[in-house]
Amino acid sequence: MVITNTISIRYLKTIGIVNNGFNGRGFANPYDVAIGPEGNIFVLNRCDPARRNAIRVGVCNLDEEYLYEFGYGFGDGDGQMMLPVAMVFDAMGRLLITDEHTNRITIYSDEGEVLGKWGHKGESEGEFNGPAGIGTDSSGTVYICDQRNHRVQKYTADGRFLAQWGSQGTGPGEFNLPWGLGLDAEDNVYVADWRNDRVQKFDSNGHHLKTIGDSAVEEEQLIRPSAVSIDENGNIYVADWGNERLQVFNSEGEVIASLRGEATLSDWAKDFFESNPDEMETREISDLTPDVPDHLNNPYHISSQTEPFFWGPVSVRIDGNNRLYVVESNRHRIQIYEIE
Amino acid sequence: MSQDVSLMAHLMRRAGFGATRNELDEYLSDGYETTVDKLLDPGESNHMPDDLIRRYHVDQSELRQLDCAGAYWLYRMLTTSNPLEEKLALFWHGLFATGYAKLNQARALLNQIDMFRQYGFGSFRDLLVELSRDPAMILWLDNNENHKEAINENYGRELLELFSMGIGNYSEDDIKECAKAFTGWTLKNAEYMSVRASKDSIWPYGRIAWHYEYRADDHDSGEKKFLGEVGNFNGEDIVDIIVTQEPTARFLSTRLFQYFASDEVDDDGVQVIKAMMDSYFESGFKVSAVLRTLFNSDYFKSEKCRYSRVKGPVESVVGTARLAGSYQEPTLDVHSLWAQTMFMGQGLLAPPTVEGWHEGVEWIDSGSLVERINFAAKELSDPTKDGVQDIIRRVTSGYRDFIHAENLVDSCLDFMGPIQVGANTREGLIEFAESQGNLQLKNGKTDQDGSAQVARLIGMIASTQEYQLA
Repeated sequence: MVITNTISIRYLKTIGIVNNGFNGRGFANPYDVAIGPEGNIFVLNRCDPARRNAIRVGVCNLDEEYLYEFGYGFGDGDGQMMLPVAMVFDAMGRLLITDEHTNRITIYSDEGEVLGKWGHKGESEGEFNGPAGIGTDSSGTVYICDQRNHRVQKYTADGRFLAQWGSQGTGPGEFNLPWGLGLDAEDNVYVADWRNDRVQKFDSNGHHLKTIGDSAVEEEQLIRPSAVSIDENGNIYVADWGNERLQVFNSEGEVIASLRGEATLSDWAKDFFESNPDEMETREISDLTPDVPDHLNNPYHISSQTEPFFWGPVSVRIDGNNRLYVVESNRHRIQIYEIE
Repeated sequence: MSQDVSLMAHLMRRAGFGATRNELDEYLSDGYETTVDKLLDPGESNHMPDDLIRRYHVDQSELRQLDCAGAYWLYRMLTTSNPLEEKLALFWHGLFATGYAKLNQARALLNQIDMFRQYGFGSFRDLLVELSRDPAMILWLDNNENHKEAINENYGRELLELFSMGIGNYSEDDIKECAKAFTGWTLKNAEYMSVRASKDSIWPYGRIAWHYEYRADDHDSGEKKFLGEVGNFNGEDIVDIIVTQEPTARFLSTRLFQYFASDEVDDDGVQVIKAMMDSYFESGFKVSAVLRTLFNSDYFKSEKCRYSRVKGPVESVVGTARLAGSYQEPTLDVHSLWAQTMFMGQGLLAPPTVEGWHEGVEWIDSGSLVERINFAAKELSDPTKDGVQDIIRRVTSGYRDFIHAENLVDSCLDFMGPIQVGANTREGLIEFAESQGNLQLKNGKTDQDGSAQVARLIGMIASTQEYQLA
């Protein structure tokens, strides 16, 4: 639990277990999460090459019931995905998923029916080179980070191009391989400007308002932020991918909390150990938060050896009940917190 | 063909993965001996950034499986500005062969490769100490089962036989005493990690990486007699004794000679190895000093030494891809590149046994030869590759209307290496080039068909026997 003068973030639970197969309970390198209209948890499984034919969305609930899944395999056919990055439910309850390899956005129903798609490779208006983070505003307008074109594009709910902003660079309003995207209650757009190590805030027309991170203050520095979400009070939650942590800023851009992760065993993990007591016995005499020697003393290596910590935090999302979801691609799970 | 260019190309085939002509030009501006010095003391390398790889390849961020880790290392070899650093790491990987099959822990193997980069040029003493502390090696050779009350000799035996002195230079008692000195050298959470490794368990949340732990309460602190010396030895003391032995100097120098100079050691080679052994002792066991003596020797520079080694599969694949300019950005194709090394008989991070790979002519059998030729020919006959385009530009430079087949062959051989081929091979290549007709140019440049014509010849050269030799 993290409690400061301005915020309290309480660990709730962990959902997940690595899925080494091609379907069923568990996650395979999850990359994003979206909460459906009924409150179910939709998890985008990017999958490693050995399991890429099972690229899919898995659906579970907060009680850790695995409900169903949908996917159409690896490829560029209708409904298929190759390197999916992010997803969001729009106001009509449709699920929009970006794919940085096929350069398109596919629209699914919450049952997995393919409803539409748009996009192809290019650098002109309405074209993509690596679409990544995606978000929608209160009017249903869609915003997408166009990674290798170093810009944000704005579309209608059905994929008609409206506007764009940004180009490659380090100045305000410029980007270097942007990844995640989030919106606040006023429809301001926040972009995880990944290779510039910062988050930029814009109004819905792309006017630069603020830069967060990239600061001389060490605790405020971000390294390769991957995702950003904003709570109802305007606090900004950043998946600080390069630091393997979650940084929380207030609306002024000051750090108000920092989380390294505190995962516990999910119900699915407990089931595994019930049937593998030999592993549980040796686990119980182990220290899974060890001191790591100096030559491995960086966030990536520490997380690779410290099971409760975030490892590969690629997405952070907040639901309508102030629950915070941090998706870890390397640990195949979602850590859930409550914002109080 | 300039002798300087030819010699530098020879050096880079051995101390690297070959070099493009642009790279050779840069090395030539420094001169041979300065280049050797820079290769041996390279500083920080430029290579494909880790963050770009990990963002694109979710599997290479997690490193749960062998193929992901192999591909990750290939990116480093393909893009590094310090080729000898990677070539030497590959040498240590073959000598201190540690394999994924028993460990099921790719991150620990890559950490071992990092250790080779850090200590590989320095003192052999420090390298052996770090090797003994390496968690992948500890589990690979069962030192986690080497206890004060019940020793396991596996690591102690291989340290002496395969890693430092060679069989015949120590006794069975020395092995036991060596093992006793390494009791207590284990890895953190050894019990849990060894169970997970043995079951290839990835549950519940994927792999958990490893680090070294010394358990003083499990160390035999009694007196030991090792190689004629008596003392209350710990593992570091054992290594201190090993590195001062003449057989160790001979073992290391010979293995480095065979890897970097020639598969076979003739009388002249014996003299070079003696000089390398002298450098070993004079420098305080420094590997870089031993290699400097080798690379600057008349033997190494001689015609006799050139093309006297069969390229290993990894150096063949990486060298070809570097020449073609491929894989300079993250791509899904990198996994099939790793698979190529496996098909050719050298799966990175998957040596067949603790003895590593059998090298030299044993690399070649009918199956692996077909894989090699198909890969190289396909990679280099693609005129859209940056490296192939560069060769085409250089080949056509200075010509205006056409290039005669014979000149085209000689020019391609020059700018692909230079590569020296036998008379029969050259005749065959000219015959092939003539069958395509003279290369027609427009204002000194090829059109699309012309580029494809040159690329086919380049691919044919990559199919020759000589291309398989370093």
